[in-house]
Amino acid sequence: MTVTFPQRPLPWLLLLPQLLVTAIFFLWPAGQAVKQAFYQEDAFGLSSEFVGLENFSHLLHDPLYYASIGTTLFFSFAVAFVGIALALLLAVMADRVMRGQIIYKTLLIWPYAVAPALAGVLWWVMFDPSTGPIAVWLKSMGINWNHFLNGNQAMTLVVIAATWKQISYNFLFFLAGLQAIPRSLIEAAAIDGASPFKRFWTVVFPLLSPTTFFLLVVNLVYAFFDTFGIIDATTSGGPGQSTKILVYKVYDDGFIGLDLGSSSAQSVILMMIVGVMTVIQFRYIERKVQY
Amino acid sequence: MAEVILNQVGKTYPNGYQAIPAIDLHIADGEFIVLVGPSGCGKSTLLRMVAGLESISSGELLINNQRMNEKEPAERDIAMVFQNYALYPHMTVFDNMAYGLRNRGASKDEIQRKVSDSARLLGLTDLLERKPKQLSGGQRQRVAMGRAMVRHPQAFLFDEPLSNLDAKLRVQMRVEIRQLQRQLGTTTLYVTHDQVEAMTLADRLVVLNKGHAEQIGSPLELYERPATTFVAEFIGSPSMNLLPVSITDQGLQLTEQVSLQADTKERGAVIWGIRPEHLQPCSESEADFALQVKAVEALGAESLIYGHTAGRSELLVVRAPGPFTPAIDQMLYLRAPQQQWHLFDINTQQRI
Ligand SMILES: Nc1ncnc2c1ncn2[C@@H]1O[C@H](COP(=O)(O)OP(=O)(O)OP(=O)(O)O)[C@@H](O)[C@H]1O
Ligand SMILES: [Mg+2]
Repeated sequence: MTVTFPQRPLPWLLLLPQLLVTAIFFLWPAGQAVKQAFYQEDAFGLSSEFVGLENFSHLLHDPLYYASIGTTLFFSFAVAFVGIALALLLAVMADRVMRGQIIYKTLLIWPYAVAPALAGVLWWVMFDPSTGPIAVWLKSMGINWNHFLNGNQAMTLVVIAATWKQISYNFLFFLAGLQAIPRSLIEAAAIDGASPFKRFWTVVFPLLSPTTFFLLVVNLVYAFFDTFGIIDATTSGGPGQSTKILVYKVYDDGFIGLDLGSSSAQSVILMMIVGVMTVIQFRYIERKVQY
Repeated sequence: MAEVILNQVGKTYPNGYQAIPAIDLHIADGEFIVLVGPSGCGKSTLLRMVAGLESISSGELLINNQRMNEKEPAERDIAMVFQNYALYPHMTVFDNMAYGLRNRGASKDEIQRKVSDSARLLGLTDLLERKPKQLSGGQRQRVAMGRAMVRHPQAFLFDEPLSNLDAKLRVQMRVEIRQLQRQLGTTTLYVTHDQVEAMTLADRLVVLNKGHAEQIGSPLELYERPATTFVAEFIGSPSMNLLPVSITDQGLQLTEQVSLQADTKERGAVIWGIRPEHLQPCSESEADFALQVKAVEALGAESLIYGHTAGRSELLVVRAPGPFTPAIDQMLYLRAPQQQWHLFDINTQQRI
C-alpha cells in the first residue's frame, strides 16, 4: 500500500529537518573533506593551493600511517574477538538460567547506554596509575601499571574500555540466537553421546555462526570508527603512537598537527573503508542464515 | 535389544507440579509399547524420563536389569525420534546419521558401513549429501529414523514422530515404522495421541490419564474390555456411547418408557456403554429403542448418525456400514445386543 499526500510540498516539508541535519552535519563536511584532500594549506591557514593527489601519495609513503593501520587492525580485531568471546560466554550462562534472566539481561544492557566518552572516563579513573583502584590492585599484585608510559598497557586499556561497551550488544544477539536453537537439537546431541563441550562446538556454535559473523562485522565497524571518544578520554592516542588508530590520527593530524590536507585525505580513505564494510554487512544480512 | 522396566516411576517438576505419581511398566525385549492419552497427561514426561532428558523423581528405571536413574542419556544406549525431527540443520544427512557413531569413537569404515546400511534400508542412499532443509517432511522423518537405528540402540523412543506429516504420508510411515521395528526387533516406546496409530502399531497400549496408567493391554483387549469409562471413551472412534442408567428387576431403564432386557445381577445406578458400531439399525418390531435423527455424516464406507432418544438429552452415535442416510428428525430403530454392552460403576467409573 502507498500513502499519497494531497499536495506536493508537504512530504518535503516533513523531511526538511532531517535533510537539513544531514546536509549541514554530514554532507557539507564530507564534501569539504574530499575537497581539502586535494589542497595544501600554508602553515598559517591563510591560503591553500591545489596539489592533486600529493596528500595521498605522502600518506602512502608515510611509515607512521602504516603503523596506524597496524594499530587499528590489532585494536579492532582485539575488540571484536574479546567482545564476541566474552558476550558468548555470558549469553551461554544466561541461557542456562531460567529464573532471573530478565535481571541479567537488564544489567548487561546498561553498559551499552553509557556514552563512549563517559565509558572512557570511567576506565581512565579505574586505571589511573596512582589513584585508580584497579591500577593500585595490579601494583599490589606486582604489575607496575602505567598506561601513560607503557604502550602495551595503553593498548590493553583501550581494548578493555571499547570492548566493555560492546559486550551488551553482542550479548543480546547471542542470547536471542541461543534461544532460537530448538532444545530438542541439544537433547538429540546429548542422546547421540556428545559431551556438553562437544555439543557446544559441534551443534550450538555452528548454528550461531550467522550471528557471530554479523557481530564480527558490526564490532569491526564499531572499533574502526566509533571509538574516538574512548581513545580521547583514556590515552589520547599515546604513549607515542601506540594507541593512535586511524580515526584518532585524522583528528590528531588535522586539529593538533594542523595538517588539514593530510587529515582530509585520511578521512577520504576512511570513508571508502566504511563504504566497503557497509556493503559487506548488507550483502551478508540479505543472504541471512546459510546452512 | 533390552527389557525396559519402570518400577513406581514418578515425576514432580521443580515447580511442584506432579506430572506422574507412580507408574509400573514392564516392557519385554522387542516389544512395541504405545503410550496414548489426552494432551498434558504426561506422555512426553514419561518418555523423557526413560531417555534421561528429565530426571526421575521417584522409583526406578531398569534397562537390561541395570539401574538407569543416575545415568546420562548417552550412557543409556537409547535413541529418540523427536516430533520436530531435531535434525542438525548444518550437517548433511550422512553426518546427521554418523554423529552418534563418531561421538562413540567408531572407526571410519564402521561409520561408512553402518550409515550406508541404514540409508539403504530407509531409501535414503541418494540423499546422503543433502542438508535437512533440502528434504521433504517425509524424508526428514526417515533421516530421523535412520539416525536412531544406525547405532543399534537398546531401545527406540518416539515422541509423536508422525504428527507433522500429512494424513497419507502418516499412514505410509506408520506401516514402515512397524515393519522396521519388527525387522530390527528393537524394544520400542512410542508416544502418540492418534488412536489409530496407537491401535495399529502397539503390541501393548498404555492409556495414560493425568499421569497414571488407566489400563495396559493389547489394542483389542482395550477395545473389547475397557477397564474404565476413560479408556472406553478414549479407544475407538467415534467414542463409545456412555449413558447413566439404572438397572431394576424390569431391566435396564434407558428412559422412563423404555427398558431393555438385562441378564445381570447388577442393580441400581450404573453407566451403560455401547459402541456406535454395535448399535444396529433394524425394523420397528425388532427394535430395542428408537433414535430421533439429528445429524448424519455420510463417509461413503460408513455413515455416522447422531440423535436423541425420547426423554434424554445425550447425543448418541450410530455407525452404520455403507452409505446410509436417514432423513433428519426421522426415527431410527436400533438393536443394542446385550453381549456388546459395557457396564461401569457410576462412582468409581470402573468396569463392572
Ligand atoms: N518443565 C515443566 N515444569 C512444570 N510442569 C511441566 C513441565 N513440563 C511439562 N509440565 C506439565 O506436565 C504435564 C505433562 O506434560 P507432558 O509434556 O508430559 O504432556 P503430554 O502428555 O506429552 O502432552 P502432549 O500430548 O500435549 O504433548 C503437563 O500438565 C505440563 O503442563
Ligand atoms: Mg508431548
